[in-house]
Amino acid sequence: MKQYLRIICAVLVLAAVITVWLFVSGDESICHGEGFAVTLEVRADTLLENMHLLDRDKHELVPADGIIFEESTVTAHENESVFDVLNREMRNAGIHFVFRQTPLFDSAYIESINNLGEFDAGPLSGWKFRVNGEFLGMGASAVSLQPGDVVEWLFTVDMGRDIGAP
Amino acid sequence: MSRDAFSGFHPLVNMLYFVTVIGFSMFFMHPVSLGISLFCAAVYAVYLHGKKAVRTGLKFLLPMMLLTAALNPLFNHQGVTILAFLPNGNPLTLESVVFGVAAAAMLITVITWFSCFNAVMTSDKFIYLFGRIIPALSLVLSMSLRFVPRFQAQIKAVANAQKCIGRGISEGSVLQRARHGIKILSIMVTWSLENAVETADSMKSRGYGLPGRTAFSVFRFHRRDIWAAAYILACAAIVIAGAAFEIFRFRYFPSIMFFSQGWLGPAVLFFIYFALCIFPIIVNIKEDINWKRIESKI
Repeated sequence: MKQYLRIICAVLVLAAVITVWLFVSGDESICHGEGFAVTLEVRADTLLENMHLLDRDKHELVPADGIIFEESTVTAHENESVFDVLNREMRNAGIHFVFRQTPLFDSAYIESINNLGEFDAGPLSGWKFRVNGEFLGMGASAVSLQPGDVVEWLFTVDMGRDIGAP
Repeated sequence: MSRDAFSGFHPLVNMLYFVTVIGFSMFFMHPVSLGISLFCAAVYAVYLHGKKAVRTGLKFLLPMMLLTAALNPLFNHQGVTILAFLPNGNPLTLESVVFGVAAAAMLITVITWFSCFNAVMTSDKFIYLFGRIIPALSLVLSMSLRFVPRFQAQIKAVANAQKCIGRGISEGSVLQRARHGIKILSIMVTWSLENAVETADSMKSRGYGLPGRTAFSVFRFHRRDIWAAAYILACAAIVIAGAAFEIFRFRYFPSIMFFSQGWLGPAVLFFIYFALCIFPIIVNIKEDINWKRIESKI
């Protein structure tokens, strides 16, 4: 009996730790005020010319025109970052989206969008973003948005050199 | 244990069987092959260990499997079918759940196979097989494998002796218990060091590690061993050929997909895989029937 009690306690502690870990690293969307319009687009068209780099199981995930989330106007709120908007829109659109949150730096890293992720097309592949046509060299959760900003998320297979990043 | 007829085969046959079966279990992630392997491993473990295997299975392996299966979707977010969102915002996908179950099944299958391996491949067989090719390694392996049960037996003896003088790990406050436990561990460390020195001296004086040392073994390669080895090799060759034709290929990510065309080819192949895994049990059943028949004639 005592032994079972111990096992149950261990399982409960483990469950508690996992729950706490999940909730602590959770994101709280900041939604103050009315919000303003920004433009968001998610594209993987660089993959179309580099299909040979991509795992054959993932070929079907690349749309024919390379556009995963068509250029459209979405609502952002004050103090919201590029990451917050992407996270909300991907969830609303039902697009698979994985990120890694580092609570210490309050920074999020985009691992994959639509199951196309970092390292899927070679060691230099992954997602980068630009705001108003400019690569900022900062994390997506460190860049806050201004009304009318144009955010593009682009898939690179060469550390950004193929999409014009410095 | 002693009634296991498969253990009576030549060590080479035993080794061949376990190498192929454990290897296939580790490389084929197809749900059907996992099921076949798990079933055969469980049946053979129960045959070898009896009630003890059932107890370990339910008390240790089943919780482990559930835990592994439950943990996988928390860290692995791949897959196109989104079931829900985890509290940290990442998706919980059907594919990661299925893959978690499959990986957990593979884990406990391999563990169960190794429990059978340990019962069948005793250290004398192991040294007989590898003593010539890799003498040092086989000696070290069999010594260290032998060390685990010896250590367990000794720790039980020490713990009981300590309990008799009121220093058991279930007596006193938490702090005292911890102190008693550490005392027992310290005794065990001393014992194992001393034991290692004694073993080394004893083996040295018996000529271990010298070139040309012979070992007495009663293993003969009978005609039935030839048949058994041929059977295992033939089955393994067919299975490997089938694997080359992607019959055992199964895709978990990004979406679940079967690759085998038609049903006859895969059905035949899975049957051959089953025939390979179930071999020791068939041998045992045949032997049991033989024994019963002879017994009833007396």
